[in-house]
Amino acid sequence: MWSQISSVISMNIRSIPQRLWMSLATILAVAVVVAVLLAFLAMGNGFRTTLQGSGSDELAVLIRSGSQAELNSVLSREQVNLIAESPGIARDEKGPLISAELYLIVDGIKKTTQGKANLPFRGIDERGLELRKNVQLTQGRMFEPGKNEIVVGEAILREFAGFELGNIIKLGRAQWQVVGVFSAGGSVFESELWADVRTVQGQFDRGNSFQIIRAKLATPGDVAPLEQTIKADQQRLNLDVSTEKAYYQEQSQGVGDLIFYLGWPLAIAMALGALAGALNTMYNSVAQRAGEIATLRAIGFPGIPVFCGTLFESLALSLIGGLLGTMAAYLFFDGISTSTLGSSFTQIVFRFDMNADVIINGMTLAAVIGVFGGFFPALRAARLPVLLAFAAAA
Amino acid sequence: MSDFYLVWKNISRNKLRLILNTFAIVIAFLLFGVLGAINNAFNAGVELSADNRLVVVNKINFTQPLPISYVAKIAAVEGVKAVTHANWFGAYVEGSKVFFAGMAVDPETYLDVYADFMSVSDTHRQAWQRNRQGVLVGEKLAQTFGWKIGDRIPISSNIFSKTDGTHVWDMVVEGIFTGAEAQIDTNFLLFHYKYFIETQTFGSDWVGWMVITTDDSNLNDQVANAIDEQFANSAHETETSSEKQFNKSFLEQIGSIGFIITSVVAAAFFTLLLIVGNSMALAIRERTREIGVLKTLGFSAHHVFRLVLSESVLLAVIGGVLGLLLANMIVNGLGQVPQIKNMLPSLVLNGDILLTAFLYMVALGLVTGVIPAYRAMQLNIVEALSRK
Repeated sequence: MWSQISSVISMNIRSIPQRLWMSLATILAVAVVVAVLLAFLAMGNGFRTTLQGSGSDELAVLIRSGSQAELNSVLSREQVNLIAESPGIARDEKGPLISAELYLIVDGIKKTTQGKANLPFRGIDERGLELRKNVQLTQGRMFEPGKNEIVVGEAILREFAGFELGNIIKLGRAQWQVVGVFSAGGSVFESELWADVRTVQGQFDRGNSFQIIRAKLATPGDVAPLEQTIKADQQRLNLDVSTEKAYYQEQSQGVGDLIFYLGWPLAIAMALGALAGALNTMYNSVAQRAGEIATLRAIGFPGIPVFCGTLFESLALSLIGGLLGTMAAYLFFDGISTSTLGSSFTQIVFRFDMNADVIINGMTLAAVIGVFGGFFPALRAARLPVLLAFAAAA
Repeated sequence: MSDFYLVWKNISRNKLRLILNTFAIVIAFLLFGVLGAINNAFNAGVELSADNRLVVVNKINFTQPLPISYVAKIAAVEGVKAVTHANWFGAYVEGSKVFFAGMAVDPETYLDVYADFMSVSDTHRQAWQRNRQGVLVGEKLAQTFGWKIGDRIPISSNIFSKTDGTHVWDMVVEGIFTGAEAQIDTNFLLFHYKYFIETQTFGSDWVGWMVITTDDSNLNDQVANAIDEQFANSAHETETSSEKQFNKSFLEQIGSIGFIITSVVAAAFFTLLLIVGNSMALAIRERTREIGVLKTLGFSAHHVFRLVLSESVLLAVIGGVLGLLLANMIVNGLGQVPQIKNMLPSLVLNGDILLTAFLYMVALGLVTGVIPAYRAMQLNIVEALSRK
């Protein structure tokens, strides 16, 4: 039986050149479908990886209750001081490891569209830098407290014009000089501009207000003591607390999901179109080989090898297409940098990221097209009445 | 025997192939219709913007505030017909998680500046202007929440808190406005600037942005320059741009939506060309003998060419029309989904898309049919008849 199956399969495969153009069309159609799916999945995956890689379990973030994102939040100095005294926060010789930060939006020019784009401008102090372990200066130096100096993330440099080291940027009446460029392990912080928090408060008339508190947790992942503190003093502490990891997980949901939910229906619709092509090709294959199939049946081959031959031919064409599509997507899309508006209303720069999951999804789609495209024609081939087949071939 | 009968018989002789080809074409035009409608919906803000309306925002970024004193100064600039101002509120109904646009505006001037954009009856308008806690609700928003005139609604902000420590602004529905055109989004509400600014905690002398109309759209650049120069080197520099430009650059912040959509549609049509083109070529090859017979009967070469080409165009049109019908159903269905209604309020399959789709159908038919048709035309009778 197995030798019969394999010999029919090899007959099928060797007869492909007789249907060269139709077979090529099927391969290409599947390749295009897979490439489109992979592009969307790699985009969604890259976006999620960037945001989810930004959050740490060791940090808590606190924002005003109901504000959802730091942009909408506002916190007073008093609230910051109250939280600093809370149990559950790690301390060192300088006191509690806590960073009160300011977050506002300034304009940048997107290189691709030459249009204005919202960039996050974060005011932090040395404590804020200490809390971010993965931040490293790649050019220049850190800003000095009290001076109009900014450092910019690497992704800003990549996607937006005018933030090169040494440049002077005018925001309102003040001039700011870019004194450094930093990397942050591919996280969302690389899409930000940073400056000294007190200077930013002064230049933007923010008084002594902040928008977000980051605090190092005494026990990683445990925000319960902070929740207790907030509950005990609700009059003054109307805050939401979560781990930084959970915060960015939440932020990644909207846009990340949207890309996935757009990608799959599009790919499935296109896959149905490609399936029609595959069916066409395979029915044609069966019709062309009617005489051959009848001969096989006449000399005693059962239906199963004939069925497998056609199914395998279809599967082979689709998988070749799938591989081609994957390669094309890898060459053209993987790693390209792009940016979109995140839920904080600012640009988030991310890279298309094709990981193994994404590729498996693409190849699975190709295999599904192959199986469905081959199944019905294979059934017809296996059931072909011998006499009729001879008559048709004659 | 008419030509159409011949073409129809040829196209439907292999039912399975007809179904598969039609299906492939249906899918491509379905994608074209749905994606085209989505693209248009994204661009609706740009398309519907008035020529003589300008937006004045803080030069640092449009989320930064401007002093309210600017309103009077801008009104005095030559060429400015009307000025109004607005503050973003970020509204949701207390207790729900559905966010929608809410703006605190100047009730006396806002509706004048947007007179061509939204319409509201005089009674509603006056009632709203009189009541400090009055709110003007968009038709779509009112439908979503089932609000009627006179309803008291608790509106919260995800940005602002009140001086009394709470987050809820009590408002009374005094009017419901409609969009001046079907594509206009009415999923937002307008309430009094005074009510907002005097109850929230962020200072009392600022606005979010200003909107002006000019006497003539030819004056736009001149007016914009005059405004921006007036405030240059002040603590609050302005940036004035046309409404169209402003909407376009905001759209571009999301990403190259148009480019992505065009690429997907192009990919879909490319696969379609491969599938249907090959299938047509095969169908004509199979009928070589018959074409020989037709020619023997006296059909001219050009007649045969036309027959084959009509066949591929007919196929494309059948599939295309079915695809667009399906697209229309899907677009209407999507338009009812609350999340999509929020994001893309003006999702419709309009005449432009249909016209373009029709041109694509004809083009698709011609491209897939031209080579087989040419071969059929060139076919030599003796050779054709002798082939198996």
